[in-house]
Amino acid sequence: MFDNFDLMVAALWAGMRTTVWVTLASYAIALFIGMILVVMHVSPALPARWAANAYTQLFRNVPLLAVLFIMYFGLPSVGIVADNWVWALLGLGMYTGAFVGETLRSGINSIPLGQAEAARSIGLTFSQSLGGVILPQAVRVVIPPLGSLLIALVKNSALVLAIGVPELTAQSRRLIEDTQSRFDLWGVIIGVTVSYLLIAFVLSYLVRFVEKRTAFVR
Amino acid sequence: MSRRQQESTVLFDALGPRGRRNSAIASLISAVVIIAVLAFAAVQLNAEGFFEASRWANPLDVLVVKTTWIPAILDTLLAFVLGSVVALFLGVVFGFGRISRFALTRWASTGYVQFFRSLPLVLLIWVTFTIDGRLGFTSEVLGWSGDTRRLTFLVLGLGIYNGAVLAEILRAGVAALPPGQAMAGHAVGLRHGQVQRLVVLPQVLRNMLPAVLAQLVILLKDTSLGYVITYPELLHSAKIVGNDYGRSYLQALIIAALIYFVLAYALSKLVVLVERRLRKKTAAPARAVQQIETSAVAE
Repeated sequence: MFDNFDLMVAALWAGMRTTVWVTLASYAIALFIGMILVVMHVSPALPARWAANAYTQLFRNVPLLAVLFIMYFGLPSVGIVADNWVWALLGLGMYTGAFVGETLRSGINSIPLGQAEAARSIGLTFSQSLGGVILPQAVRVVIPPLGSLLIALVKNSALVLAIGVPELTAQSRRLIEDTQSRFDLWGVIIGVTVSYLLIAFVLSYLVRFVEKRTAFVR
Repeated sequence: MSRRQQESTVLFDALGPRGRRNSAIASLISAVVIIAVLAFAAVQLNAEGFFEASRWANPLDVLVVKTTWIPAILDTLLAFVLGSVVALFLGVVFGFGRISRFALTRWASTGYVQFFRSLPLVLLIWVTFTIDGRLGFTSEVLGWSGDTRRLTFLVLGLGIYNGAVLAEILRAGVAALPPGQAMAGHAVGLRHGQVQRLVVLPQVLRNMLPAVLAQLVILLKDTSLGYVITYPELLHSAKIVGNDYGRSYLQALIIAALIYFVLAYALSKLVVLVERRLRKKTAAPARAVQQIETSAVAE
């Protein structure tokens, strides 16, 4: 069943490393974009709010695969060329960034108005009440949904196989469609499933750890 | 809307003349920056011939619309509808399985939900399709054609994966339902199954409808994954059109993205409408869960 076991493990291990690396890097991009979006969302400047809204709606309603295709296959026709891993990180990051922005916004909205009123009434300035009262509470509220976004991103990162990035799913596909058929179908399927379960397990453990560390009773 | 205004009056204080001027300047600057970025992009794209009429007209030729775009939209919607039905069915079955009285049912349902929620949908669709291809079950035993097989495994993948997500949503809905509802059902002499079917399920479905619909929007977008098994949905067809009209490759993909946008946007507007309708009727705790769930489901 596990023919050429060492070769299979090596290929899946390489794919797993790529998956984790792509996930974490694009998550960093997504957090950055999400923070910019939420600042634009709550800013008093109307055009900035419109732009943030347009961005969010665009990426929430277009499939990730379409975004990746437009970037990798479409943009070269207007003279914008980059490696596939650049588009993989940018595409995943920009797509997830829209969801991060929405999550952060709902986090700020979830803080009762009384908190801001209390901060104002003891004489804190705008930046003091935002930085010392609102944001510390909002950050804790959004950690669980941000965690599920990270775990969702692991699964979404499988889509970059369509633009030729050799992540876990792409590796398993390569093994099964191996021209010399050196690998058994079931062995590879078990291998790739276990790999994904392992990533999900470790990440959800980490998320739960962070959740517990930041949990508070309101 | 009112929420934000409320918040900004508390956070920002009522603006004085200087504050109002600053805010106006900020608006102006951000408008100028956004317009400048868009204009720069437009000029660059124009220089590369992005807006050339023929590049847009060719992929939107009447013949192409008839033979490719319309069938592609129909195939996408077909996969969406069938996938939703399967997902809702599995969601109800395993959602209630997770809170069953029988430990074995609970374990099996939990296993199903946890397992399929951790695998990428694209892997699920492609692996089931490949296994079937090796075993030759649908092609040889049932004698199905290629496209029927592709549709079957796309729907199966969409249904199994989203069924697991919907099961979690429904379970959260049951947990948020006041326990007095089930108790009242038992008190008037209903058996356990009757309580679940007649008292709990209708309320849970109503309370969680916005979250369920939001997940169905995601299912609609995920039909694009049929691409990996060459199911003739929108994105796949867009690539074919792009290959036929080499100079319109980007344009064809953008047209497909726009169609997805219109479909998904219409569906998500429906979500907002339903949410507003339900707001008056729904109990407060259920509403809190809805917000968490809608923000959590992003995959």
